[in-house]
Amino acid sequence: MSGLLPEGASLRFTGLDQPLRIHRALGGGTQGEVYAVDCGGEPLALKWYLPACLERDAQLPRRLRQSIALGAPSADFLWPLALLEPTAESRPLIRHPRAGFGYLMALRPPGYVGAHRHAGGELEISLQNVLRASFRLADGFHQLHLKGLCYKDISLGNLFLEPGSGRVLICDNDNVDIDGQGGGSVLGTPGFMAPEVLLGQAKPSASSDLFSLAVLIFRLLTRHDPFRGRRELAIRCLDEPARRRLYGEEALFIFDPTDAGNRPDPTEHAAALVTWPIYPRPLQQLFEQCFGPGLHQPQQRPLTGQWTQALSRCLDQRQICPQCGQETFPDPAAPGPCWHCGAPLPRPLQLQLPQGRISAAAGNELLPHHWDPLAPLALEHPLARLVSHPDNPGVLGLQNLSAEPWQGQLTNGQTIALDPGKTCNLAALQQLHSGAGPITVLRP
Amino acid sequence: MPFPNVRLSNRPLHFIYLCDCSGSMAAQGKMQALNQAIRQSLPGMAEVARENPEARVLVRALRFADRADWHVQEPTPVQQLQWRDLEAGGITAMGEALERLAGVLQSPPMEERALPPVLVLISDGQPTDDFETGLATLMRQPWAQKAVRLAIALGHDADLEVLQQFIGPEPPGGGRSPRRPLQASNATSLARYIQWASTAVVGAASMPASRVQEQGDSNVNIPLPDLPPTLLDPTDDVGPLVW
Repeated sequence: MSGLLPEGASLRFTGLDQPLRIHRALGGGTQGEVYAVDCGGEPLALKWYLPACLERDAQLPRRLRQSIALGAPSADFLWPLALLEPTAESRPLIRHPRAGFGYLMALRPPGYVGAHRHAGGELEISLQNVLRASFRLADGFHQLHLKGLCYKDISLGNLFLEPGSGRVLICDNDNVDIDGQGGGSVLGTPGFMAPEVLLGQAKPSASSDLFSLAVLIFRLLTRHDPFRGRRELAIRCLDEPARRRLYGEEALFIFDPTDAGNRPDPTEHAAALVTWPIYPRPLQQLFEQCFGPGLHQPQQRPLTGQWTQALSRCLDQRQICPQCGQETFPDPAAPGPCWHCGAPLPRPLQLQLPQGRISAAAGNELLPHHWDPLAPLALEHPLARLVSHPDNPGVLGLQNLSAEPWQGQLTNGQTIALDPGKTCNLAALQQLHSGAGPITVLRP
Repeated sequence: MPFPNVRLSNRPLHFIYLCDCSGSMAAQGKMQALNQAIRQSLPGMAEVARENPEARVLVRALRFADRADWHVQEPTPVQQLQWRDLEAGGITAMGEALERLAGVLQSPPMEERALPPVLVLISDGQPTDDFETGLATLMRQPWAQKAVRLAIALGHDADLEVLQQFIGPEPPGGGRSPRRPLQASNATSLARYIQWASTAVVGAASMPASRVQEQGDSNVNIPLPDLPPTLLDPTDDVGPLVW
């Protein structure tokens, strides 16, 4: 790719002590080009804006400086680190009369893939990790909104996933602004934009972010689109005016509980019909709320904290179908049939903690917020994990991931010690005493 | 267990090149430059196709010289396309090419539901047949009206007026615009325009990109991305080198 910056050259920028070596172009988009660069031995990424983009968006440097000063809301953002303007001697090396500017950010670590690959069905990922990614996405926007900021352009194109862990990276943070400040030109991405923004009645804000976030979570969880049902079949050419009707003027949620006028078509929209029943009612209800009353009343949209809570509870009740081995997320009190094979699911063994119950299934994790009512909901730093015995997958145990030894009490009254890293068999366990509080085994 | 093996349903996006193969294309390596530009653009186009879960990008190519004929007749998934070289020789049957194009844009063979087709006309000269009739036949097809129509003028002898008629009404104001013929004066700019059409435009027609206010022209059915910036080459545009 021949781009604006000379590959292989070293450029100097104001405010940067050492020159930046431009390694190679990583890619280009509608806004700018991204280069792998080296800054005093540290590999970083540099986004360089196209002249047309700068002309359109006079507020861009102000927003970037503001974001750089405020700092990243959480580690899940690929946040701007420094605004770079070329020094007078570097300007002639830039292949455009208007040299422009760019910003430095961390390189996207290997292993992260674009979320569109998931939507396109190309990614091997577990349901647990899709839910974890959705949680982290909602939590990222929770932190961003708590800082008084809004993102404005949430879409599949700005999200990267690590399929093996459910970690996320939120990219393209250059539209972020203080919520309610009118500046900036971005409106969002059709298909994700809140109807009031798509129809030109409002500017992007934290409340339109809430709509776009719900669309993106829906697309991650279902590999389908919340508004593409039978009404889409009537559209021959899916162009801009058609999208305005589908997502704006005539938008109707495909699973609207009161209006069945836009249900998925069994052949064209099979993905939605397969995946929607996977998720527990509280999670489905948040979508119904956001795409029903919340469609035209922004104050009715579920908040980021409601999403993290519902997604975290969903992860807590993950259960493996004994018949087909698929991951399921039923209400432990009334599990019903497996969404995949239809076999009735048994009521699961559960672990009672001071702040929640976790269904016993290999891979489920016990997290600080399960003990501490003041700990934020988070998926990091699990204190224990449910694991299968390496030789006998039918034997389920609880592994102590904390740094302290725990005491266990067995059903026969015997006590055992569970050192850090060790796993105890749940079949014989009555209660564990962790440093943070008790874990009690609840048998169905 | 992995996520269920389902995906968002997609629609076909037909991308069709109309390539001038008249004798004048043999001059100054224009034919070779076009072959190279298209061949080089395919990996990037395949990448855009992969990133767009909503689209199935299918490529075809029409060549026109003494007659118009399909060069790539089957709508071919871009990932599978192997570009065979076009050869120059003959006159410029552009009108016939538009008639042939009209034939494949009627339903059937066009699918009942699709994304807007992208039609790219590349020419270095003037039509030698009945262009007006060919264009009229084409524009009677609803899919041609909905299509994103782009034109690339190769060299200085291309008939810009004819290319503008293919694109549609000229936008107001001056300057470069994707709704005017793109003027490629050398192999580098040709390659950049071909790359732009096969990536940025395919992206815009298949999966909407971020929208900004000034693009909010609700009269167009596909807002087009910015043209690639005109790059300064060290030996380009610096004024005379020797005098």
